[in-house]
Parts: sequence; structure tokens; C-alpha cells
Amino acid sequence: MWNSLPGFGTGILYAVLVAAAYTFAVAIAAGRGQPRLLESARRGAFATSGLVALGVLVLAYAFVTHDFRIRYVTRYSDRSMPMGYLIASLWGGQDGSLLWWSFLLSGYTTACVFWLRGKYRQLQPYIIATLMVIMSFFAVLMLFAANPFESNLAGAKLDGEGLNPLLQNYWMAIHPPSLYTGFVGCSVPFSFAIAALVTGRLDNEWIIAVRKWMLFAWLFLSIGNALGMAWAYEELGWGGYWAWDPVENAACLPWFGASAYLHSTMIQERRNMLKIWNVVLISITFLLTIFGTFLTRAGLISSVHAFAQSDIGIFFVWFMGFVIAVTAGLIVWRLPQLRSRGQIEAVLSREAAFVVNNWLLIGIATFILIATIFPRISEWIWKETVTVGPPFFNRWMAPLGLGLLALMGVGPLFGWRKTSGVSLLRAAAFPGAVAGVVVVLHVTLGKHFGFPAFVQQDAFYPGFAGVLLQKLGSMAPALTISLAAFNFAVVGQEFYRGISARRSKYGDEGVFEALRHVVDKSRRRYGGYIVHIGVGLMFVGFCGRAWEIEHEASMSPGDTHQIGEYTITYRGPRMEVDPTKRMVFADVDVERSGKNIGRLSPARFIYTKAGQPTTEVSMMRGLRDDLYLVVGMIDPTSKRATMRFHVNPLVSWVWIGVLVLMSGASISLWPEVRLREVGVWGYLRATAGAATSIMLAILFATSSARAASPVAARPPAAAVVLPATPSAPLAPFAYGAALAVGVGVVGASVSERIRSRKRR
Amino acid sequence: MDINRLLGDSSKWIAPVVVLAALIVGATVGLGPALLVLAGGMLVGVVLLFWSSVGRLTGESPLSLEEAIGLGAPSPEEERKRSILRALKDLEFERSVGKISEEDFAELSARYRADAKALLKLIDAESAPMRKRAEERLALRLQGEQASPAKSKSRKKKSAKPVPAGAEQDAAEALPPEPDEAVEAVPAPPSATVTCPSCSTNNDPDAAFCKRCGTALGKPAGATS
Repeated sequence: MWNSLPGFGTGILYAVLVAAAYTFAVAIAAGRGQPRLLESARRGAFATSGLVALGVLVLAYAFVTHDFRIRYVTRYSDRSMPMGYLIASLWGGQDGSLLWWSFLLSGYTTACVFWLRGKYRQLQPYIIATLMVIMSFFAVLMLFAANPFESNLAGAKLDGEGLNPLLQNYWMAIHPPSLYTGFVGCSVPFSFAIAALVTGRLDNEWIIAVRKWMLFAWLFLSIGNALGMAWAYEELGWGGYWAWDPVENAACLPWFGASAYLHSTMIQERRNMLKIWNVVLISITFLLTIFGTFLTRAGLISSVHAFAQSDIGIFFVWFMGFVIAVTAGLIVWRLPQLRSRGQIEAVLSREAAFVVNNWLLIGIATFILIATIFPRISEWIWKETVTVGPPFFNRWMAPLGLGLLALMGVGPLFGWRKTSGVSLLRAAAFPGAVAGVVVVLHVTLGKHFGFPAFVQQDAFYPGFAGVLLQKLGSMAPALTISLAAFNFAVVGQEFYRGISARRSKYGDEGVFEALRHVVDKSRRRYGGYIVHIGVGLMFVGFCGRAWEIEHEASMSPGDTHQIGEYTITYRGPRMEVDPTKRMVFADVDVERSGKNIGRLSPARFIYTKAGQPTTEVSMMRGLRDDLYLVVGMIDPTSKRATMRFHVNPLVSWVWIGVLVLMSGASISLWPEVRLREVGVWGYLRATAGAATSIMLAILFATSSARAASPVAARPPAAAVVLPATPSAPLAPFAYGAALAVGVGVVGASVSERIRSRKRR
Repeated sequence: MDINRLLGDSSKWIAPVVVLAALIVGATVGLGPALLVLAGGMLVGVVLLFWSSVGRLTGESPLSLEEAIGLGAPSPEEERKRSILRALKDLEFERSVGKISEEDFAELSARYRADAKALLKLIDAESAPMRKRAEERLALRLQGEQASPAKSKSRKKKSAKPVPAGAEQDAAEALPPEPDEAVEAVPAPPSATVTCPSCSTNNDPDAAFCKRCGTALGKPAGATS
């Protein structure tokens, strides 16, 4: 209906570029002695963000009206797709995901500039200017290399090619947006860092502002990565959740940088130290987000996340070079001011523990980074491509991860500046005892319950290092479980100390009342401890890999197969057809210790459009282990099926750990002042929190609904731990809870608004 | 007609109106047209934002009071003071949970307090001229009010608030008095007098009795202060 829509879209992108340039210029003028212009720059930033949103709306309109003149719409949608996937196609392909990235950046820009209103007046111009530079980079990228509004050379087609069936599930609707939210969120701290460097206001105030934004980004990086793991576990059907795929690695790299920063920022706040390091960490984290995008898009390294190969890589290389040059130049320029006055006074101090933790986190990130791009490095040096696979990562990450777990446990025991040996021993006594008891119990009883403390490992390399790695690998289960127990005991002890200190001061308070007050008074500290519990639980889940069982069998109807405690009986194939695909199920009955616990139906879906059939996993979850079934081939005449069975112990604890981590981070993020005082930030967080809970609640609900249906067309959702037998009433309950949260948040903000207006 | 005021007002209702219109169109016609309505609204919003941005750039639209006050940023010393106070609070928490020994606490706390004291002195010294100016204006203002007590009664309530709070609580944050107040305060007659009701002699503003006839003047000095 609208003749010039593709041209209009491209025009918007040009307008974004021009608007960003204008805002940049005004902001710089405001920073260089004309503070009156700041208001002008702020409005320019809002307007630029509005233009990007306009672009997204126009593309969404093109998708909804099936405007197949636009190449991007043709390639990622077709007329049969439901509305939800049409919207998800906005970030389904390369060009659109870049627009989506800019859109999120514009959202952050709006929130940040609005939040800044009267604060950080001197930093503001440069914050806006930096955000505008990032924005114009993406505008240039879209205009010259990956224009989502480009029209088809051969004119409009009758129908599109459709979104890849692997992407047509609800994970597509939630995983990329949360990961991008985390990625793009790192731009705001980076802008603050650049502004602090340019203005020379390097003291602590800016870092306090940055902390909240970084924590927000970190939370979404965690959620995004966890959702990616759950997606891989449920949809890809190879039996695990993390395959050290280059794109997975790229997604987790900024997480390590952000985690390191969140710890080291405390040292600067408390001791006015490590200023250079903090600026460097923020810049590294930002660079890693850009690098991650580059790795995903440029086709540098082959990956399951195969975006179309294109020539946008060189743009990223230039941009990264530019960012590194500017940041390094600014740091060198400000070096005299960045030198810290304080220094670490004792090895046994929290500062020292944080520094070691930082090195370890950055070390892990560097290790993953180098191993990920190793194929290219080896090609460059030795002229042959050497690929490093998952076994390599798993071996080497075990000691690094255990080191991290140990440090995470010990860190909270230290005090600032110095801790005397005696007080450290006193603090470590209880957690140490708990860890000791757990080790003893694990070694003696573990085997009986099917979780032996030591597992057999093959030698991977010859030589001393190889033997050491092998030994460590075989001891990993015992070490992980005891270190996790140590962590839980440390956190428990911290809570106990806080509560008892509070109660000795206010004797009349009950335990829960005291707990509430203690957490309320230093949310960041206790939120952090809860995050530690979450990470500990995730480690327990990761450790379950040591005990996994994998079988493969070819079965005729009526055959049975024994795996672990499960007995599986194959009943036969079943076929269903819907307009887009044929579905072939293999129905199996599952018994556990002689008792029937239900039917599973792993399947192959054959889509009419895409040639490759997809594998549909079917599984039963439990706190102890998951039974995970995949069907390879079903012979239509003899009805024989080739099946793969996995028993994956403790995987549910990974998802529980993620939920605990999210709640801990939310406690830390919750505004310390009242909602009305923090304005947009409070609302942003409340909205994010509510959105997350609603999202999870929907996951709960849909998974139980699916499990309850006689034929599990899709496996249940991952972020949920359900008993093997489904509980149908959960669905209405979860929707109700989600609705209540949403209504509560909206109601609270509205009433707060009204009250604050009255007060004024 | 003042276009800037019109624009300022429009920013309040434009977003809800567009969203409402989009919802209505979405419910009655379809998602596509609703997206178009949203896009149109967004375009109008962008144009308005650029309009006001350029207006401020060329200096056509004046700064609001809030923006003008916001031009003063806190000094680096002020920021350091805040961070030291935060560190002290944290330190006390750590002592209460027994993470730090009493001697260490005493030493660290003394060091932080000394730092904070030095900073406060510096801040005080920096803001001394400002404070002096604020006090002068306050004195001037009070004088003016005494001169015309009946007239100023209603205004006094309004204006009494910001000045002492800024001047005494925190010297560094002392804001200059609001511009309109300053303007009012300056032309107040410096030699205001009290006229004796019986002999019509002009007396000093704080006089209790007439200097000529000794009649008690209605408002003694003590009552006004």
C-alpha cells in the first residue's frame, strides 16, 4: 500500500546518522565551556533515539504487512508465520539484529540521559557524545553493509522464505533480546568511563553511578546466557547445554569482564585504588561485547549460530581499533591522575582477594578468547587450521573454575585493609568444618547413591601437566561439591553474623524481622552473597556432567533398554501432520525402579520449506537427574528406531542456580532510596524485574501445559524444575502470579507518582 | 502565541494520545495500521524534540529555573567527602558483624574522620565568599521585611525556607537565593523607619519607644526577630 516504504526506511537510517552527528557536536560544545547547550544535546539524544525507534516500527510494519519488496522481510518471514514469530524475525537475521541492537542502545540512551537530568553535569556532555558515536557506528554499519531496508533486486516476491524452523520457538522470542540487553548495556558504563577520562573527574562518584548500570547489564548477560544454555539443551538435542561453540564463548566473555568489574569497583569506592584497572575493565567489557558481535556476524569462525557470511567484519575491526586507540590515548593522558594514593597493605585482605579474583576472571576470559579464535591464529602462524573442541575446554576449565569457586568462598571472610590470621581462622572454622564433613560423606556414601566422589578420567596429554590435569579431573566431583558446601556455609555464616549483630543491638526483633532489616540496610552486600549461592548451585549442576550416562540403541516395537535406573520400552512410531510440517514421533514408556512413570515421545519434524528434518528432544526432569531422549532415524517399514538416551544428573540445579542468581542480583539492584526519588531508574528496574518474572512465569506455565498434554509435542521449558509427573494447576497459578506482579508494579508506581506530586 | 510553551505542553499529552490511538486502531483495524499510528506519533515526537533542541541551541528558548540551578555541579571535594562518609558507614557495619578488630576499627575510623575533616575545612573555605553573600542578602531581606511588616507577612513564609537550609546545613550546597527573591530584596528601602503614632516622629526600625515623646511603639524589637 505504501510505495516508498523501503526508501523511507533507508532514509530514517540516514536521519539517525545525521541526528547523531548533530547531537555529538552540540554535546561536545556543551562540554567545552558552554553548559547552556547541554539541554539542547539532551533533547538531540532523545530525538536520535526516537528516530531509531521509528526505524524499528517501520520494519515491524513491513513484517506485519508482508512487504516482500524488502529483502530482509523476504528472507526471514513468510505468509504462514504467526504474529509472534513475525515480530521475533526483527532480530532473526543479521541486518535486523543490528537495527535491534541500535534500538536497545537508543533505549539505554533515553533512560540514561533522562536519569542524568541534574546529575553529573560535567560528565553528561561526554556521556551523550560517546553514546552518539556508538550509535553512528551502527547507523554506518547498517547503511553501508547490512541495510535491513534494502529491496530485492528482482522486485517483490509472492511469498518469503520463512524463519529457520530451529528459530521458530519461544526461546527465539526471549534469548536474543535478553542477551542483547546485556551486551548493549555495557555501552553506558563505557560512556561514563570515557566521560570521566575526558573531564578528569576520576574520583569515585562516577563509578558509583556506573556500578548500577553495569550490574543491570550483568544481570541480563547472565539471563541471556542461561536462556541460551536452556535453548541448546532443549532444541539442539546433543544432550548438553554448553558446547563451547564460538558464539557461546563470545556471549560469555563480557560476563567475565563485568563480573571482574563489579568486584574491583568496590576497591575503588572504599580505598580509592585501582582506578586505571577499573577504567580498563569497563573498556575491555565493552570491547568484548563488540568483539562478540563481530565474531557472530563476520563469519570469522564457523559456528552453529550461522549468520550469513558478509563483509561487515572490516567495519567492526575499524571500530574496535578506534575504540582501543581512543581509550588507550585517554588513559595515558590521564595517567598522573589515575595513579592511586592507596596501596594494598596486606596479602590477607579483601582488596588482595579481589585482585586475585580479577586476575582469575580475566584469565579465564583470555583463555576462552584465545582458544576460540585459535583456528584463525594457527592458520596465521602455522598455515594450518587447528580447531580446539569441547574436551579441550572441559579439561582446562575444570581447574580454573575450581579456583574461582574457592576464591568466591574465601573472599567474603576477609576484611578490608588487613585481616589477622587469627580472625581469618575463626571465620573459616565453620565453613571449613562443613566442607570437611561433606567431603567425608561424599567419599563414603557417594558411590552408594550413584554419585561417586572420584571418577575415572583418561589421560589427555602426555607428561606432567597431562597427569596433573587427569588427576584433577578425576577429583573434580569431590572438590566441586565440597567447595560449593564451603560457599554455602560462608554465606550462611555471613547472614547469621549480620542477624545476630542486629539482634544484639535491637533485642526485641525476631529473626525474620532482623533479617529483613539487615538485608534492607546493605542490599548490595547481601544480594551479592545470594548471587554467590546461585553460582555455587550452578557449579553443582555443572559437576553433574561427571556422572552422565549416554547410550545408543536401535529398537523394534516392544524392545526394552536399561539406562541407569530407567527402563525404557519402545511402543512404536506415530505420525502427525500440520500445514507446515510432518511430525514423526517414537513413543516410549518409562519405568523407574519397576514403576511406570510416564510416556516420552522424542520426534523428528520435517518442515515443508526447509529440507533438513529437526530433532525434537523429549525428557523428564528431576532434581536428581534428567532422562533425555533423542530419536535419530525411524524406518517406516520395519518401524525400527535408532535412539539416543542420556541420563544427565543434577542439570536442574543449573537452572535453580540461575534463578537464585537473578534474585540476588535483583536485591542488589533494588533502589536504596524510595522509588519516587530515583525516578526513571526505579521504574526501569521495576519494569525489568516484572518483565523477568512474567517471562519466567509464562515459561512455568507453558511447560506444565506441555508436559500435561498426552503427546509432548515440545519438551518442557528449561528454566523450570518440575517433578516428572506434571501438575496441571500450575499454569493458571503462574499466569495469576505474573499478572499480580505486573499489576502490583504498575499500581505501585502510579500511586507513588500521585503521592509524590501531592507532596510537592 | 508562544510556540515554546505550546511545545512544552504538548510533550505531556502527545505520548498517551498516540498510544491510545494506536491501541484503538489495533483493536479495530489491525496491527499494521496500529504500528503506522505509532510510527507517525514517533515522527511527530522526533520533530518536536529537534525543534526544542535547536531552540535551545540558538538561545531562543530561555533556560528554566531548574536547568539554571543544575548548571552548578558538585566540586570534586564534595564528591570525595561523600565517598569517605560512605566508607565510614561501611566500616561501622563491618565492626558490628565482627569482621574487623576494635584496634583496626579505631585506627581506620580515625583516619577516615581526619580525611573528612580536612575536606570539610577545604569545602568551607571555598564556599566562604558564597556564604557571606548569602548572609548579606538574608540580612538585607530581613531589613526589608521589618520595614513593611504587613505587606511581607504572606511572602515571609514562602521565602524563609530555602535560605537558612542552604546556608547552615551544608555550606557547599548553599544555593544562591532564587533570582526573583534577590530582585525583590535589593530595592527594599535601607533606611526604613517607624512613625510615632502620637507625634509623627520617624524612629529607627527597632525602637521600642519614640525618641521624642517616649510613647511605646507598637512593635518592640524583640518581637520582630
